[in-house]
Order: sequence, then structure tokens, then C-alpha cells
Amino acid sequence: MAKAILYDAAKCTACRACQVACKQWNELEAEETTNRGTYENPPDLSPQTWLKIKFMPEVKRNGKIDWLFTRQACMHCTDASCVKVCPTGALYYHELGFVAYDKDLCSGCGYCEEFCPFTVPRSERNLWTGVAKMEKCVFCTVPGLDRIAEGYEPACVKTCPTGALTYGDRDELVAVGRERVQALQANGHPNAYFYGDKELGGLHVMYVLDDSPEAYGLPVAPQVPAVAIAWKDVIQPIGWAVGGLAILGLGLNYIIAREAKLTRELPGKKEE
Amino acid sequence: MEQEVERYRKPTRILHWFNAGAFVILFFTGLILFIPPLGFLAQDSWSRILHRVCAVIIVVGPLIYLLTNWKASWKGLKEAFIWGKDDLEWLKAAPRYYFLCDEKAMPPQDHMNTGQKLWWLMVIVYGVVIGVSGLIMLAFKTTAPAALLQWSVFAHDVAFIALGAMLFVHVYLSVIHPLMRPLATGAWSSMARGKVSAEYAKAHHGKWYDRVSKGMKESPSADK
Repeated sequence: MAKAILYDAAKCTACRACQVACKQWNELEAEETTNRGTYENPPDLSPQTWLKIKFMPEVKRNGKIDWLFTRQACMHCTDASCVKVCPTGALYYHELGFVAYDKDLCSGCGYCEEFCPFTVPRSERNLWTGVAKMEKCVFCTVPGLDRIAEGYEPACVKTCPTGALTYGDRDELVAVGRERVQALQANGHPNAYFYGDKELGGLHVMYVLDDSPEAYGLPVAPQVPAVAIAWKDVIQPIGWAVGGLAILGLGLNYIIAREAKLTRELPGKKEE
Repeated sequence: MEQEVERYRKPTRILHWFNAGAFVILFFTGLILFIPPLGFLAQDSWSRILHRVCAVIIVVGPLIYLLTNWKASWKGLKEAFIWGKDDLEWLKAAPRYYFLCDEKAMPPQDHMNTGQKLWWLMVIVYGVVIGVSGLIMLAFKTTAPAALLQWSVFAHDVAFIALGAMLFVHVYLSVIHPLMRPLATGAWSSMARGKVSAEYAKAHHGKWYDRVSKGMKESPSADK
């Protein structure tokens, strides 16, 4: 049974308790930042910040000032680009549906960072040696700190004081989310949108938005990049075929040519 | 003592073996990324460090050669692009030669035969592809746009497949094919010692041998 997190942006007050809970539970260090004239802090996701609340610029709607907040972290796609391109199997699908991570196996290649449609994975990279380790939200399944295996909800959900975050069976949360969006649409939010229901085969972090995804800075109709499909589903199988056929062909040639050479040499000594 | 002809000068041979060593390591450190069960070999970036060191060797080596042997380099590069009627004949006769060991069917060849030229041309083309895409990933991983990095991985992989398959063919045709035995006279000898027997040169590179044997006053090495 797939599990999921439902984020209700309409209920979020951007208190950022989830950010703190995430750091605390997963033992991620705080980052020293500078005042940029915004409550949004730190400025971006990082190897030490797997989850943050993004503050959209204030907008005027229906004569009122509106301030939209959104949650920025791994969306735990069903069709995850990162899992598709990860060459070592470090990124994989958890039996409960989300994208889990075996950090030891990470080679630091950075493909997940390049191919993620949400630009979530981050790493600190030594530019000379290329050494890096990717970090991202792993749905509170860090070995030794695995809340899910113990039957707890993720730390961010546990700490959310307004009920903007809920955890549960994905099917149930989809029903809840659809209902909420309908209610919002009926109450003066005609653009309300349920994000993650169908996107990328269904996300395991779904958003109830009281406006369009664009207004929240979310990609509309995110896709696994076409290059990833061309590379992994076309080029790589062709690679195996080419390599296999080359070795097979050369082996065959060896057998035939050796025979031919031997028969040529036996009576042919005088010819030379 | 059997008569011999110089085929590759020392700098050329040193470049070849540096490239060969680096290529094999690059090949295997890349190949493990094709095989997820071998992913543990790449963990903690070790294979990637090795890959980078060899990448530098295989790029800087030819550049040094290019700068210090620019005459030979220019001549060598030109060789890949000079094609004629004999090349067509060679391609027609090649299956009989390689499968049935029929040496008589082959038209006379210059310093490089058609197969070698074809191979050399692919090395140049795919070498540039794999080099440029590799450089983008090596140096601009944190600054290049994601789409460029995505296409670099793609191009790198295409070139890897082509060059990897060519490596098999190259090694096979130079030291394993029955016609390449004994090793002391032919292709292996040309790259290991720099010399081939006059007999071999006459049979496999007739045009080149004629030129070289006539102009012995000139330099004996064609790649000079």
C-alpha cells in the first residue's frame, strides 16, 4: 500500500517548523545565512537542507494582498528520473512507493541532480577531484533514524501545527485532496489545483493549491526528460547489443579464419 | 637477419601505449556504470577519480604529441581523409581476406590500409565527441545548464559504445586474428618495437613499401 504526504498550501502559515523538524530528526547541520530581506531562509535546498518553505512574491488578487507559500523537497515521483538515471542503484523505489536512497552506494556522478524535473537533489562537489555525495529528502528512512519502519509519520508531518501536512495511505489522501480542491474552487479560488495526483505517474507528496501550479512556481506537467529515455531505454540497450554482437562476430571470425588459414597452409607450403 | 622497415617512431609508440592504458581504465571505470549490480565499485567516487586521471592523460597526451610532433600529426591526421579507388576494392575484398585468409584479393595499400583509415577516422570523430562531452561534465558540472549536462551524458555514452566496440575490433585484428600470427612480424611488432619485416610491409602496405624502399635516402618512417 503506497503511502504519501499531503501538503495543503491553503493551510500553511510558513512557520517553517517542518524545516526545523527535518533538520533535527535527520541530524542535518544548520546553515549560516545572511539577511536577504525575506523570511525565506535558507535561500535554497542544499545537502544540509532537504526541506524548506518557499515564499512566493506577494500578489494582489481580488483587491487583497495574497502571500503564497509552498513546500520545497523531494516529490517522491512514481516515475522518478533520478532512479532511472542513477547508475549504481543508490536511488531506488521503497516498497511504500517513495524514492529511497542508499547513501553508501552514491558515486557522486550528479546525474540525479541534472535530470530531476524539480531540481531537488543537491551535493557538495570538489571541483578538482569530482568527489561528491548527493543528499535529498528520503521520507524519513535514514538508516537508524527510520521513522516509517517504526510506523511513525515523517518528522515534518509530526511537527506541523496547522494540519497543512498529513501522512497516510496515498489513495485516501488523493480522495481528501480532491475534496479540498473542490471546496476551494467553490469558495473563491477558481484556479485551485490538486498537484501530484497524476504528475509523473503520481507523486508521493501531493499539494492542495489554492491557485495554479505556475503561481506556486511548480512545473506544469513535469516530465522525465526525453534525453533520459533516449539514453536509458534506447542507447544503453543498443550498447549491449553492439558490444555483444562485436564479441560474437569476432569469435565467429576467429573460428572460420583459423580453419581457412590451416587448410591454406597444409598443401600450400610450396606455393610460397 | 631478416630485413625490417621502421613503421612507427618512438614518440608515436609511447603515445599509443599511454592512450591504450588510459583507454582501458576509462573503459572499465565507465562500464561499471552500465551494470547496476557493480555499482558498489563506483561508490564514494573512487572509480570516478580514476576516470578523471585517465581522462586527463588521454587528452593531454595527444595534445603534447600534436605540439611537439606537429608535422607528423598533420600527416597522420590527413591520412584518415585521403580516400581512393583502392579503398573501395579493399572493402570488397575484406570479407574474403578476414574470413578465408585470401591475401591475394587485397589491392595494394598505403601506410594505412582502408580498415585502419576507417578506424582512425572514427577515433578522431568519436574522440572529439567523448572529449568535449567529458570536459563539460568534468569542469562545468556545477555551472552548465542541466540540459547541456544531460546531452553530454548522452553523447558520452554514444561515443563510449562506439569506441568500446572499436577497441574489441582493434585488439582482435592486431593481435588475435589468425593472419596476425606470428606476432613478431606484423601489427604487434610495429607498435611494440616500431618495426615490421619487409616481407610483411610488402604484402600488407605495398604502396607505402614501394615508396619507402625507393626513397631510403629519405626518412624510412612514413609517419615523420
